[in-house]
Formats: sequence, C-alpha cells, structure tokens
Amino acid sequence: MTTTPSTGGPSDSVVQDFADMSAALTGFQSSFLRPFLDPTNLSEVFYNFAVAQVGQTAMDDLLNAFRAIQKEPAQKIADTLLEVKIPTGKESSQAQIAQAIILMWYLGSWYTPAYQTANNQPGQVLQVISSQAYTKSLVWNVAQAHPMGFSAFTFGYWSQPPAGLNTFGVNTGGGQ
Amino acid sequence: MRKFATITLLVLAVACKKETPATDTTASTDTTSSTATTATTTTTATTTSTAPPPPAIVLSANIPGDVQEGSIPPGSDRNQKFAIAQGDFDIYSWNTFIALNWPPGPDGKGDPKKTIGQNGDNDTVWEHYRDVADVFLPGGAVPTWNGPEPNVPPECKADYTPGERIITQVGKTPNVLTVSEFSQPFNTGPLIDQNGVYTRYEILVNKPMFDYILSNTLYSKAGQKVFSGAVKFPCGVLGGAEGAIMVKSSWMVIDPSEKARFHTANVLVYTPASTNPKYAASCSKKMVGLVGLHVGHKTNLAPQWLWSTFEHVDNVPTEEEVASGKLKTKYNYYNPKCTSTDCPPNKVPPRPWNPTQVAAFHSQIVRMNMFKGGSEFAFTSAAKHNAEALKLLVGVNTNSVWKNYELVSTMWPTSPGNGLCTADPQFPLGEPAPSYLANTTLETYIQGPPLAPNVSSNCIECHNNATMTTPVHSDFTYVLQRAK
Amino acid sequence: MSNGNGSGNPQYDVVIVGAGVSGNLIAKQLGLAGKKVLILEAGPAVPDSREQYMENFYLALAKTPESPYPSLAGRTGPGVGTLPNPSVIPTPRATVLSIGGKPDVSHLIQSETAGVSGTTPDNQPEVRQLQFSSTYDRIGGGTAWHWLGSVPRLVPHDLTMKTTYDVFYDWPIEYSEMQRLWGLAESEIGVAASVAQQQPLQAAIGMTYPPGYQYPMGPIPSSVVDQTVSNGVSGMSVPGEGSEGGKEYSVFVTNTPAGRNSEPYQDRRVCAGNTNCIPICPIQAKWDPTVTLGDALNTGNVTVSYQSVATNIAVDGNNVTQIDYLQWSYDANGNLQSTPASVTGKIYVAACHAIENAKLLLLSNDQEGIANKSDQVGRNLMDHVLYLAWALAPAPVWGYRGPLATGGIESLRDGEFRTNRAAFRMEIGNEGWNFACGDPYTTTLDFVTGTNGSQLNPGATRLGGTALAMTLNDRLTRQFRFGLLLEQAPQADNCVTIDKNNTDGLGIPRPHVDYGLDKYTLEGFRVAADTCSAIFQQMGAQEFTQPTVNPYPPDKKPGPGDFNYEGKMYHMYGAGHIMGTHRMGTDPCTSVVDATQKSHDVQNLWIVGSGSFPTVATANPTLTIMALAFKSAEAITAALGA
Repeated sequence: MTTTPSTGGPSDSVVQDFADMSAALTGFQSSFLRPFLDPTNLSEVFYNFAVAQVGQTAMDDLLNAFRAIQKEPAQKIADTLLEVKIPTGKESSQAQIAQAIILMWYLGSWYTPAYQTANNQPGQVLQVISSQAYTKSLVWNVAQAHPMGFSAFTFGYWSQPPAGLNTFGVNTGGGQ
Repeated sequence: MRKFATITLLVLAVACKKETPATDTTASTDTTSSTATTATTTTTATTTSTAPPPPAIVLSANIPGDVQEGSIPPGSDRNQKFAIAQGDFDIYSWNTFIALNWPPGPDGKGDPKKTIGQNGDNDTVWEHYRDVADVFLPGGAVPTWNGPEPNVPPECKADYTPGERIITQVGKTPNVLTVSEFSQPFNTGPLIDQNGVYTRYEILVNKPMFDYILSNTLYSKAGQKVFSGAVKFPCGVLGGAEGAIMVKSSWMVIDPSEKARFHTANVLVYTPASTNPKYAASCSKKMVGLVGLHVGHKTNLAPQWLWSTFEHVDNVPTEEEVASGKLKTKYNYYNPKCTSTDCPPNKVPPRPWNPTQVAAFHSQIVRMNMFKGGSEFAFTSAAKHNAEALKLLVGVNTNSVWKNYELVSTMWPTSPGNGLCTADPQFPLGEPAPSYLANTTLETYIQGPPLAPNVSSNCIECHNNATMTTPVHSDFTYVLQRAK
Repeated sequence: MSNGNGSGNPQYDVVIVGAGVSGNLIAKQLGLAGKKVLILEAGPAVPDSREQYMENFYLALAKTPESPYPSLAGRTGPGVGTLPNPSVIPTPRATVLSIGGKPDVSHLIQSETAGVSGTTPDNQPEVRQLQFSSTYDRIGGGTAWHWLGSVPRLVPHDLTMKTTYDVFYDWPIEYSEMQRLWGLAESEIGVAASVAQQQPLQAAIGMTYPPGYQYPMGPIPSSVVDQTVSNGVSGMSVPGEGSEGGKEYSVFVTNTPAGRNSEPYQDRRVCAGNTNCIPICPIQAKWDPTVTLGDALNTGNVTVSYQSVATNIAVDGNNVTQIDYLQWSYDANGNLQSTPASVTGKIYVAACHAIENAKLLLLSNDQEGIANKSDQVGRNLMDHVLYLAWALAPAPVWGYRGPLATGGIESLRDGEFRTNRAAFRMEIGNEGWNFACGDPYTTTLDFVTGTNGSQLNPGATRLGGTALAMTLNDRLTRQFRFGLLLEQAPQADNCVTIDKNNTDGLGIPRPHVDYGLDKYTLEGFRVAADTCSAIFQQMGAQEFTQPTVNPYPPDKKPGPGDFNYEGKMYHMYGAGHIMGTHRMGTDPCTSVVDATQKSHDVQNLWIVGSGSFPTVATANPTLTIMALAFKSAEAITAALGA
C-alpha cells in the first residue's frame, strides 16, 4: 500500500545547482523556479529528463561550466553558457543543451538540440514533458499572462493591465 | 514562500504569551507518550524552557487557530522537508478534527469537562455551526446565529421538532439544489450507497465566518450587489483568533444496528421538489452515519485556506487494494463481490438522478492514488498520523466511534504569503501541496486517472474560481453563491 | 441495441442522429414533453469528467481544436506525432492537422494543393480546388465542445439578401420569429451581454432587440486589447465603394455577446479567463452541448446509444421506415468490430452537422440519396472564410488573457456593398499571435535558437537570461490579431458528394469535397485585407500578416489555403462554421427543408443544423443553430400530437 520513495537520482545540491543555472539561463528568480518547499518539483523532473536525453556526462559538463562562473552576474552567466556571441548554427552542443533547458522551462516541452537531429535543425519538439510542466511553463509569465488552459486569475482580470513582470517571477534587474 | 526563520520566531513569541496549548489537556493517559513519538521527527527539539513542544496530536477541545510549524533542519532534502511540513499540517488537521468533534458545552464550544468519544459517540461542536440553508434564506432575509432552523420546508413540518436537524443536499448535482457547491454537472453526480440510497451533504459555517457574512450583508443577492472591495474572511491565528471555518459533511443512511461504527445523527432528510427530473418534495426521519468530513479553515499562514479531509475507514478500497485483491468483506461504497467488468469503478450514476427513489445503480468507488508522481509524502504522513490519532482516540474508549475515521490528507499552500493573511502575488494559489487531493465521498469523480491540472481535484485551484452571485471573487468559498 | 421489429409499432417517438447542439436540444425539448427519444451518436460517450480531454490537450504538440478529443493526433511519439488514418478508424472527421493531406490522413477527400485561380465561363474571377478548412468532431456532445462561445445575432438584412440586395436567397423566417428563437437559445446557453452595449449597432447595421429584452447575464468585460483597438479606431470610418462612393462606414468596437458565464449559471462556474475556449474550457464556464444533454437525460425519456454510426435512412416512398446503423467497439486485441442494427421511430432527425448530414442523406437508399428532389443536398457548402491579420501594437496590449475573444468590429457587417461583395465581421483576438503563428512558441524558439518563424527575429539573434525575458515580454505583450469572418456565396459547385474510392474503418464511404471562392467572396477578401491594414495604420501598429502584407520567405511555396487574387497572395482559414448543405426555403424545387427544418420530400424527416442556412451572413452560427432547433422541436412535438 505504500509507495516507496525514489532512491538514487540527483542529490539535493545538484538539483539546486540545476535550478540556479536555470534561473540564470531563463532570467527568472531562483526562488521562483525552486521555492524552499517545491510541490511540483520541476527542477528535479527537468534535470532527470534532460539527463535522459543528453546523457549524464553532458549534463555534468554543463553544470561544471556553470559552477565555474556562478558568482558572475546572471546575464553574464546566460550569455556565456549560451555562447550568444557565436553566430547561430555554430554554437557548441553544450550551448544547444542550455537552449533546450530554457525551452523546457519556458514551453514545458523538450526540443531536440540541433546536434542530435538528422538535419542539424533546431526547434523539433519531442514531447510535452508533462501536464504540470505545461501548466507551470514560464513563457506565459514573461507575457504577464498565464498558460492557455490554466488561469489562476479571477473574472474580469483581463480588462485591466497585469501586474508587473517581477510579480511573475522574472528577474528584471541585473543581479541574481 | 515559507520564510522559515521568521515564522518560527512568531510561533515562539506567541507560545510564550500563554500556556502552550499542547499541554492543556484534560485527563488522558497517553498524550505524553504520543507527543514523545512525534517529537522524534523534529530534530531540533530545543531544551530551553521557553521553546514550545514540537507539534503533536493531542486530545484537546481547543481548535487550533493555525498550523504549528515545527522546524526543518538545514540540509534537509525535499522528501525530508515535506515529511516534516506535511506532518505539521496533518497534525493540525487531526487536532482540528478532535476539537471540532468534541462534545460541546452550553456555549457551543468544546466542553473541557468532557472528552471526545468517552461514551462512544457524542454530539459535536461543528454540528452547532450554522447550516448554510439557514444563512442564505429565501428573500435574502437576515439570518441569525442561534435558534431553530427558520427555513423548515413544509414537507418536514409534520416530523419536525425545534432544534432538529434537516439535511438536504444530494451531491453536487445542480438539478436538486438551486445552487451547488461544485459547478461541474457533467463530472459530478450523486453518490449512491449499497442500498441504492443517495448520500446526503451538509455545509456549515462557524461563528467568525457567519459574523463576516452578516456584518457585510453578504447573505442576500441585494447585499452582495452593493458590497464593494474584496471579500476577505477573517484569518485564524495560532493561539489566538479562531478564523473562518467551513465544514462540509457527507452522510449515509444507516440501519440503527450499524450505529456503533459511525458518528450518527437522527435527522430529517429533505428532498426539495424538482422539475427535471420531475418529483415532488419529500421529508423523512432517518438515522444517518457520517462518512466524510471536509474542514476549510482560513488562517494567517494560509490565506488560500487549509483544507483537511477525513473519511470513514470503511468507505472504499484503494486502487492498490483492488489490484492486489486484499479487500474487506464490506464497504460503504464498494461491493467486493462485483467484478470490474460488471461494476466499473468510479462511474457517475446514469441519469435521471432522482433521490426520492431507491436506485438500481450502486456506486462502485475506489480511492485512486492521487499522490503518485511527487506527492508521496502526503500518503506517508497521513498513515503515520492516523496511527497516532487512532491510539489517542481508542485510549479514551475502545468503543469510541471516532476510531472509525481517518485523515486522507491536508492541502496547504507552500508559499502562502507574508504569514499575516496576505497572499504572495507571485503565487496567488500559494503553490499547494499535495498537488491533488480528493475525498471519495465528495470529489468522487475527479480522482483521475489521468491527473489533469485545473480539473482533477485540487481544493485550492477549484475554490479559487468561487464567486458570489456577482462575479466577485468570494475568497475561496462557494457558500456566498447561495444567496437569494 | 434492438432491431426494428417491423410490426408497425415504432420503438421510439423520435430517433435523432447526432448528440450535438441540435440533437441534444431537440431531445431535451421532446423529453420534457414526455416523448420517447433515442439519440444515435457515432462517437464515444461523454466522459464522466474532462480530465482525459484536458490531459490530451496539455500533452498535445499542436493545440488544435481537435486536440483534446478522442482519436486525436499529434500527442505522442517523436516529432509531431502520427495522424490517424481515416480508412481504418470508425469515426474519422475533418481535423486541422489533416488539411491538405492525402486520403490516408484527411477524412475529407479534397484538394491537396494551393488554390487555383481562374475565371468562370462568364469571365468572373474565381478560385477552385481550395481545401474546405473547417473541422468537426464526432463524439458525445459534438463539435461545439470546442466552439468559441461568441453569440452575436444576425441582423435583419442577413435574412433578406434577395429582397434587399438581389443576391442569393431570403430565409423563410421573419426576423421577429428569429428574435423569439434567439431568446430561447440565449437562455438555454446562458449568454452574457448587454442590450445597451449593442445599441450603436442599430444605426450601423440595423441590429434590434424586442423592447425590454434582457440577456440572461451581464456582459463579459472587454479586454485591454479591445480597449486599445477601440481607442485606436476612434473617429475612424472606411469609405463605401463603387456606387456607394461618398458613404462612410463608421469603425468602432462592440462587446461580443458570449455563451460563457459572467455569474454562476446552471451551476457552472464563472469565466476565469483561461484563454482556452477553443479547444476546451477547463471549468465549463463556457456552455457546451453536454449541459443540454444532461437535462435531456434527466427527463427520463431520452436514451443515447454511443458508438452507433448511422449508415442508411431507409425510406418507403416519402416516409422513413427505419435507420440502419453500425454499433462499433474494439475487442480485447484492439481490433475494430461492428454489428449492424436498426431502430424505428415515428419521426427521424438527422443532426450530425452539415457534412455528415449530407453524406448520410446521399448514401441512403443504396446511394440513390433521399430527401433530394431539389438536388441541393450537399450543395452550397459554405464557411465563414476567415481572413487573419496580425500586428504589433506600439505599446503593450497584453494578449493571452481573458476569453479568446471579447469584442469585435461589427459595424461593417451590412451595407449596400453586399450587392457586390461579401460583408465581414471582425473578431478581435485576445490570444496574441497564437492563432497567427503558433505563439508564444514560435517567437520563443526564434530568440532561443536563432530562427525567424515569427518574422520578429530577422537577425537570427540568440538570447538568454533577463535579456531573453525582456525581449519576449516586449514582443508578446504587443501582439494582437483580427479574424475576419467573411460571408460566402452559396455556390452549387461547392459541394459534398460521396467519394467513390475511399471508405472509413467501418466501410462507409467518405465525403468528397469540391470547394472554392467566387468573386463575391474574393472581393470581400480584398476589402477585408485593406481594412485591416488601414486599421493597423490608424493605430500605429506594425502589420505582419503573411502572405498578404509580409510575403512568405523565398523558400516557402504556396500550400493549402493559399491563393492569388488580383496579384496579391492571400491565405484563407476555415472559421469552423460548416453551413449550407441542406438549405431551407419555401420552394421544394430549390431547397431541402422548410422553415422548421422538415424535409420537403420525406414527411417524417427533419434535417437540422447549420446545413439548413440558405445564406450565412457574418454571425457565428451556433446561436442560430440552437434557435432553429427550438423551432424544429416545436414542430416535431406538434406533429407527434398529444
């Protein structure tokens, strides 16, 4: 009758690093992505999903690259890991994995990194990771709205402008 | 977000002001050993005399004003954090259940000279709360807190003695009630017992909730129309104000020979007339047994309210029990002899829904596992605290009817806001845990699978859609919709 | 289900094919009147909760109107998933993802390429070989599970196109009668609107209400998008054309009456702005036909037989004798099984929407067809041809909030120009560029991976962190779109026929569709596009409409829905409004049904739904579908006698 808790899996500090890296990549506050008490536990779900797609080594490499610069300002971390200065199409596979992580958070889905596709093209969706990943996806927060199909707002809210972006968890400042 | 250090200090500060509620018990023998048991899970048990004891289930008539949060050691992982946190809320739920089901004194509060279940069964505090049928009166008339039901249907008058209870509701079915608590007609329906009799419901509000409705004239449509601003029910405070509490109970008609296993009441079961399906009103005296209890409580640490739900232990098997074949011989809402082909589980009864007739259809209900996929801590905590509470209750009287009730779980906001009754705008729903929760007698048909956000039972998500008769947000309660 | 016993005693008073808007409403009214009704529904039962449908939606890769509903595509598997093959499933139907597809993907057998521009024998421009692009569902509750919920009424001239503008046909119903019927429908659905807010439309397009009429609920509040457009077009007008030169048509925004709750109604919740009306409202604040079906079942006089596909309406002379159908299921090995059966009634109702109604009638009587002395069954297939225009506003309008649409520009829906060209209704979308280009996904992918699907990232920039969030915020919050519902001319050669080569999983022949646009609608299209551009310009908005204003990138070839007209390229969508295939009229030689939707030719057969519309004007059809169903129910009840 009991369900056994999952053994194995990433340690809490690894998941926290993943969440902190995700915060820098996505431009959201880390405490918003992974609150102290996190019922939906998306950080761990996304970490595990990404590892299953790209392999543990690639994930470890990316996290280590993050750890090496994690004291930098958040925007700098994002720009470095994403190699934004490298022309599109020439960025490394690691940068593409960082892109895929942003897309998990923003869109709730896994988009196969270009380097893993037959035609080296980005943007090919594999699947929606889960319904909770969709209802908590963040691009809608960036739009100061809500996922279509899941509104926590109340009648008539749409006739007024929304609250500010920082209410939606976005890191609007420069630091972390 | 749970700002932990601040809240702990708050608890300590409050606790120092008065006697710690946990020790203010009447003569019961086993409380110390059970508090010792719970204390082992909170590792930072302090030894100074000013520190309150860690949260524990106690036999007390004091309704907790809020959850008491134990401390979470630094470095705890997610499972450990939730084991402690969910445990705190389940302890709160049990303490609330015990206090609400405490025998009342003449003032309606729990009588400190008595103990719950000391004579087997007992009258309860919450059954003296005000039934919403007597708050939202025809014509929007002004309700009173005390006194007999003013709204006695003519069909009941013959059998009615003043003070007698009348229970009315049949499921969250729109065609029987003028207004229904749950507004999804296609996926709610009546719950029909093994005798083909409909399960009945009651909704009651405590005095603070009643007073807020009264003083803001929210008991009538006209009053709601002129109300301006936001509806904001009062919050409970740990060791202080009670705050708004609403109770929803589900009842099954039982034979008197079964009464030892239930908290029972002799009531008038009233069915209002209906045009579609077509039947006349009727009223009859019945003995009913409590099969489900929802408690919604607004508190400082839960502006999205705390949601505790209890069920009779014989209600239904779990899906795991059905799969393994480990079934009891008898359930309130499941026939162990009927196969899943002949009796597919959790199906809504076919229409027409007519509670005045004995139905050929009997509900075959199974408790689905709504905690898998990340909320398993809810299951573990409920099992643990049910065992502790059982021990306490049986310790009062081995024939206590209250031993037949178990906590399903407590839903609580993990990011509730500033701890002073105000939600965090980043988390308007407070990020509830567990992610889904249902009482098989009250949210029978939205237990999944699949578990879909915004549809599968989540107290806070659904109650966030509640409004008055005007579309104004009604602060997580559907009762205000009943105004006439 | 039992067989017709042939003894002369019908098993039911009425047998209805289709558990959708019309079928459920007629069943409810008949059930309340004590009549015994059987509904044959081709598809699966209404589920006990919408958990599965919502989960389907959440997991769908392409959140099309059909995405929550059974036998759906695009949900699982690598890439964009696999579309079901209509030739092996029991209830295939038209879907968005199958438009332009081959028969192994598209239920409708029709063109697979871009539209072909040409001229008619009398030298008028036309486009043929267009895909009919509106879709439907075959499930308990029907297509209106995923209707938008907009319920504007028709205007008086909409019913008198022949008398007023000397084009097409008049409806055989007076406007005052439609007003009575709309009132019934608005109460059944639960419509939120204010007569006072509609008042400016009286002068503009002749909209009137009976004196003292009140909608069941107060209006749904306008969105910030509506308010912005309204302010932007303040004082604006568009000129009449041709003989109307000198006349100015005022352009202003009106709140749209809606079949969604602005207060608790029918014990359903109030709208919470889930912005998901299409494809599914998670909380049923928007009415759908399962509400009415529940009422029908509560009468105790209505039965529904699911997974029952009608194959033949058997007639003896001008009398239906029985309906033959196939009862299908999947066995334990996943193989499709079906059992033939039949059922008898005193009166029969075909209510399975305009394409399947036509198909069933044409298939009946050994594919000789029934109820078709007029030769109009299947003909005059019409849609509201949809022109989509989208732009970036100069300042945030905050789309992706509220119901999908709360306002529109109604003031161009009528005028003398309707002698020459189609009118249109302008719907203001609240969902940003979701319909227009699959946003917010497309723009997000653009700025993360460096593509330019949205046209907003021509520099192939890649961003992350706060820079990404702020850039997306700037673009997404300024996105908005118009959807213009263009009236379509009834054309005999726009038609549904029986395909000779393709059958479904039950062996039933599938519909073949020929479709295109004539000059009447093409001219409307041209004006629609120009009007949108003028409004965007007036608002200071930057237009991005493809391919009309912003051409396709050079590597993209025209595809399904694309066509050329007078040197400009356009893309048409279906509005989801399938109409005309069994039109009503007073003359049995030129119409299929009378004003109550009773067949002229078969005395105990009603053929109901938007297929009965002789002309389509510009109003979303569901309100009128239900209004006509009330009239049919009254006529059927009277025909059954006491």
